[in-house]
Amino acid sequence: MPPTLTGSNDAAWMAKKRTAALELLPTLAMPSEREENWRYLDLSFDPDLDSAPSTPGVASSDAIVAGWHGTVVTIVDGFIVTDGVQSIGERNEETVSVDGDDLFSTAFVAYAPGTAYLGKELLTQPVFVDIQSTSTATTFPGVHVDVAPGSDATVVVRMSSNSDQPAVTVPRVTANVGDNARLTLSIIQDWNYATRAIGRCTIRLGRDSGLAFSEIGLGGKVGRLHLDVDYIGDGSHAKIYGAYFGEGNQTLDYRYFMNHIGTNTRADMFLKGAVADTALSVFTGMIRIEETGQRTESFETNRNLILSEGAAAQSVPNLEILNNDVKCGHGSSIGPLDEDQRYYLMSRGLTPEHADRLQVHGFFEEVVEQIPDEHVAAWARERINNKYIVAQQEGRV
Amino acid sequence: MSYALEVRNLRARIGDLEILTGVDLTVPFGEVHAVMGPNGSGKSTLSHVLMGKSDYNVEGDAFIDGVDLSGMTVDQRARAGLFEAFQYPIEVPGVSLDLLTTAMAESNPEDPGFGGRIAATSERLSMEPFRSRALNVGLSGGEKKRSEMYLLGVANPKVAILDEIDSGLDIDAVREVAAMVEALRSEDLGVVIITHYSRILRYMSVDKVHVMVAGKIVRSGGPEIAEELEGSGYTEYQVAAAG
Repeated sequence: MPPTLTGSNDAAWMAKKRTAALELLPTLAMPSEREENWRYLDLSFDPDLDSAPSTPGVASSDAIVAGWHGTVVTIVDGFIVTDGVQSIGERNEETVSVDGDDLFSTAFVAYAPGTAYLGKELLTQPVFVDIQSTSTATTFPGVHVDVAPGSDATVVVRMSSNSDQPAVTVPRVTANVGDNARLTLSIIQDWNYATRAIGRCTIRLGRDSGLAFSEIGLGGKVGRLHLDVDYIGDGSHAKIYGAYFGEGNQTLDYRYFMNHIGTNTRADMFLKGAVADTALSVFTGMIRIEETGQRTESFETNRNLILSEGAAAQSVPNLEILNNDVKCGHGSSIGPLDEDQRYYLMSRGLTPEHADRLQVHGFFEEVVEQIPDEHVAAWARERINNKYIVAQQEGRV
Repeated sequence: MSYALEVRNLRARIGDLEILTGVDLTVPFGEVHAVMGPNGSGKSTLSHVLMGKSDYNVEGDAFIDGVDLSGMTVDQRARAGLFEAFQYPIEVPGVSLDLLTTAMAESNPEDPGFGGRIAATSERLSMEPFRSRALNVGLSGGEKKRSEMYLLGVANPKVAILDEIDSGLDIDAVREVAAMVEALRSEDLGVVIITHYSRILRYMSVDKVHVMVAGKIVRSGGPEIAEELEGSGYTEYQVAAAG
C-alpha cells in the first residue's frame, strides 16, 4: 500500500474531525509559558504546523529493527510505510477519541497522515513501532494500540531522527486496554538534539486490566511527554517507569497524570533521570483520585542525578484526592552521585571514573530492565552508559 | 623483609576531634590479628583511614608490603593490596556482583588472575545464586558478609581488614564467617579482624590480639587477652586511658 495524500483515505467520521480541526486551528494560539501546563518549556519557536510533508522520506534500518523477533511497523515522517497496517482514520468507526485540546493536539488531528492501528491481528506477536523522522518539516506520527479484552500485548515504540537537522514533531501514542487485558508498552525517544518533540500518550484501562509502561528519554532539544493513564475500570493497575538522560541544552519535560476513576485501582510510578551540562529536566507527577476512586492505591517516586554544576532538575509531585479511602505516597530527590557508593566501589579497586560509571549504570538499571525485550534493553543501556562515558571523557561531568 | 601491614603513629581528626591518637600496629604476612575495643574507640575509623576515606585529616605512616600508602587515593590503596570488608556494606542498586568483579578486573589489567579467582571463590563460597543480584540489596546480614568475603577472595589482597565482620549475625552465621576467615589464612596475606566482642574468636584462631581504647593500641598480646576481656570488659582500659 503506497502512502497516500493526507486525508484521502479518511472514513467519513475522520474526515469530519479533520475538517473541524482545520477550521479550529487558526483560532488557537501557541501555548504560553504562563500556563501551568507549559511553564517549563521555551516556546519561542515557530512550530510551523502546516508544513507537514506530503510524502514520507526514505526509511532506514538498524540492528535493533533487524533483530526484532516479532512484527515491525515503520512510520516515516508520520506516514505508515509498512504494508497492511491500517490507520485509525480508515476504520469505519472511531476506536479512540482523536479530539485535540490545544494547538499541538488539534494540529495532530488536522495534519497527521494516519495513526497506525495495532489491533488483534497485529498484536498476536510483539510489535516494534519504528518512528523515523527524515524531514525538517513538522511531522505527526501516531500509534494506537487496541488490546482486546482478555488478551496480552507487547509494544515497543522507538522514535528517532535520520539526520541532525532541526525539526518539530508531534508524536502521539494512545492505547485502550480491554477488560482483563495486559499491555506492556515501552516508548524510547531518541530524537536528534535539534528536534523539538511535543509528545502525548493517553492510555485507558478497562476492568482488572494491567499496564507495564516504560519510557526512555534520550534525545530532543525539547523532549516532552505528557502521559495520561486513565484507570477507568475497577481493579485496573499499572507500573509506570521512566528513565531520562539530558545533556547539552536539552529540556526534558515529563508530565505524568494518573487519573483514578474506578475502584480498587493501583498505580506505581517510578522515574529516574540524570542531567549534565546545562540540561533541564522536569517531572510533574499528578495522582488524581476521583470521588468514585474508592480504595485507590497510588504512589509516585522521582529520583534525579545532577551531574554538572549548570544542570538542573525540577521534581513536582502532586496529589489531588477527592475521597478519603485511599493510600497514596510520593517522594522525590535531586542530588549528585552518592559518595558512599563511590567510596565503596573505589575500595574494590575501581578508579573514581569507573566507580561513577557503575553507579550511573545501576541508577538507570531499575528502569532499563523493564523494557520488554533484551536486545532493545541492551541497546538502551548502552546508549545511556555511553552518554555518560563520553561526558566523562570530555570533562563535562 | 616487609610486613603485610605496618602502621606507625597514625593520627586522624575530623575537625577538632581527634579520633586516632597514635596507632602503632604491625601485622606480618601469614598472621591473623584481632583489634578489639569498646564502641567509639576508633576501630572503624582505623579501617576507613587506612582505606583512604577523605573525611579525615591524617598524620602518620602506613605501609602495605613496604609500600607507603600516604598520598594514595582509595582505589590506589585497593590496587596496592588493601581490602576493607565493610561493617555495613553499601547497597548499590542495579549493579550486580558480576558487574563489579568485571570492573575490578578491568581496573587491574596487569593482574591476569581475576577470572580464575572469580570462578574458584564463587564455587568455594557457593556464590552462584548471588552473582547476578544487585550489590548488598535485599541481602540478610550473613549474606552481606559472605558477599564481602567473596569480593575479598576475588581481590586477592595483601592485607584484609574485616570491620566488625561478626556484627549483627546470629551464632550460625558467626561460625560461618569464622570458617571463611580461617580458610583465608595464607602466607601471602595479613588479616586484621576488628571486633567489639570476643565471640567470633572462639570459632577461629588468631595470632595476636590488640586492645584499642581512645584512639590507640593500649595492649597487645596473645589470644588469651580476648578471654580476659570476655570476663573483665574494657572498663579497666578505659579508666586508664581517661587517666
